[in-house]
Amino acid sequence: MSYLVNLLASGLAVGAVYGLIAMSFAIIYKSTGLLNFAQGEMAMITAYVAWSISTSVDGNPFIVAAGSILFAIVFALAVERIAIRPMMNEPILSQIMVTIGLSVIFRSLVILVWDGLPHGMGIPAGDALVTLGDVRVRVAQIGVILFLFAAIVAMWAFFRYSRFGVAMRAVASDDGTAQLMGVNSGKVQMAAWGAAAVLSGVAGVLFAIGAELSPSLYALGLKAFPATILGGLDAIIGSAVGGLVVGITENLVGGYLSSGLKEVAGFVIIILILMIRPYGLFGEKRIERL
Amino acid sequence: MRSGYYKETIARHVDLTDALSQRVWIAIALAALALAPLYFDYYGLSLITLMAITAVGAMGLNVLTGWTGLISLGQTAFMVLGAYSYAISTESWGWPPLAGLALAGIVPALASVVVGIPSLRLTGLYLAITTMASAFIVNHLVLEFDGLTNGSSGIFVNRPTILGFAFDTDQKFYYLCIGVALLTVLACLNLRRSRIGRALVAIRDNDNAARVMGIDLRSYKIYAFMTSSFIVGISGALYGIFLSFVTVDGFPFLLAIEALAILIVGGIGSIAGAILGAIFLVGLPEVTSMIFSLLGDGAQGLLSTSAHEIKGLLYGLVIILFLRLQPHGLMGLWQDARRVWTLWPLRY
Repeated sequence: MSYLVNLLASGLAVGAVYGLIAMSFAIIYKSTGLLNFAQGEMAMITAYVAWSISTSVDGNPFIVAAGSILFAIVFALAVERIAIRPMMNEPILSQIMVTIGLSVIFRSLVILVWDGLPHGMGIPAGDALVTLGDVRVRVAQIGVILFLFAAIVAMWAFFRYSRFGVAMRAVASDDGTAQLMGVNSGKVQMAAWGAAAVLSGVAGVLFAIGAELSPSLYALGLKAFPATILGGLDAIIGSAVGGLVVGITENLVGGYLSSGLKEVAGFVIIILILMIRPYGLFGEKRIERL
Repeated sequence: MRSGYYKETIARHVDLTDALSQRVWIAIALAALALAPLYFDYYGLSLITLMAITAVGAMGLNVLTGWTGLISLGQTAFMVLGAYSYAISTESWGWPPLAGLALAGIVPALASVVVGIPSLRLTGLYLAITTMASAFIVNHLVLEFDGLTNGSSGIFVNRPTILGFAFDTDQKFYYLCIGVALLTVLACLNLRRSRIGRALVAIRDNDNAARVMGIDLRSYKIYAFMTSSFIVGISGALYGIFLSFVTVDGFPFLLAIEALAILIVGGIGSIAGAILGAIFLVGLPEVTSMIFSLLGDGAQGLLSTSAHEIKGLLYGLVIILFLRLQPHGLMGLWQDARRVWTLWPLRY
């Protein structure tokens, strides 16, 4: 029993990380129709920058948090402005390939700028173990779950009530009409990239604190694909739920079946979902008009 | 842009060569390829061999992505399957290499049906994600069935002997690879000119219109998947022989990105573009290392310690720069140059 509870707890923690990155995919997809294959790499770079900050301020969690969030936003806006915006009217293959090109560049840069070895983040406040009943988890793991729920509530409220959130929904549903109504779609796109970078960056940093910092951290992005496909590419909150489902499934498969199968469980989910409900569990069914 | 060549029948329009000058150039190119071993040393020759193998794979992907417009990030899976089919059948079961090469095409083609059927309803982004997922699943399956595939330790592959002729030296293996590459070029050119090739391009340009005109999308998409995977599987087998060792690590995910980069650099949808792109991308790391060696010892040290990263960086930059500045690739550049050459001093 306690084995199961432990699996569920760690599944929830890693699922929250997937969920946050999946939410970033969905935010960008919803407002620009683009899937950012480099999201995991951007999360990894944010984690490395957080590590650099933490070694220079002796692991003060507040400075690290503020610094890495600031960096994530600036970095994402720069990427969006330099690489993505000029490609917005190009065919889908070109758009995908630009983000894939970015992902390869970022992966290489991390190893060239920092190094290829695994590191601890050096933030004692996040590293500490907490015992909850049968389960021992790290503060960072609780933090990422709480952050996910906070992000879900914030996103829901933002898209429901705020003026800018409604504008983003307008751009998502019809770009041209939204522009005619006076919505600045460039600003919407920037906001989407910034918000996505914060969510995935925080997920990356917290995951690195809970596990370790290494150049294979970008795989979080790959693992988040199943989550966002499961929830629906255009369903932001659905993607978060998808992340939790994928994380728990992965851990249960790893715990009861085989550890090799754990690595590909998410990808099997992708193929199953795309065969049964291609638009995801919570996504909008797309009806094409000839 | 030659003038005075009027094509009056469809048969003339689809001719492989339409002028004497073209045949002369082809003959010169073939002679240069045949004589290359006399002029290049071991290193240069292995580079050309690698270019030929890469070009075969790129032409395979071109059938799927370039002609049919289906984006695949999973063609490494079929390379892996091809390489393992060849290695297992020839080394473990003792099949003749020619049968092994055939199997290296057939197994990926059959496997691609399994990947292709769920992909029939999907296009664009979704297809890219499914094919990527299947690549990871295939790699995992190869590691899981370690009784057959030797798991992560891999299989040694010897140079083949085909029809009594041993391709045991680098020169001879070079001729084998060039031969396969030429056969692939011929096969692709013929396929492109056939009913199937035209149907595939019609699907890419507008799938609804193609369907209205009586093209069965499902079967033609499956054809595209099978043909592409057959060719890619053969290139995987050759790559395995080239490395003389087949492991999952020999076929990293970067290879799928390299393949798409080749198509983009060359000019998507064109056979000559796939070949040019393969030459460009295989040659790129070599040219870079030459530039680095001019920069001095420090730069060279960096190159030797992090070759893989610098390769990744270059691929990424090349993809983005070509998409931004020259979306039609090297073939587009070539067309522009031709236009300028014929029309100069006029602009159009």
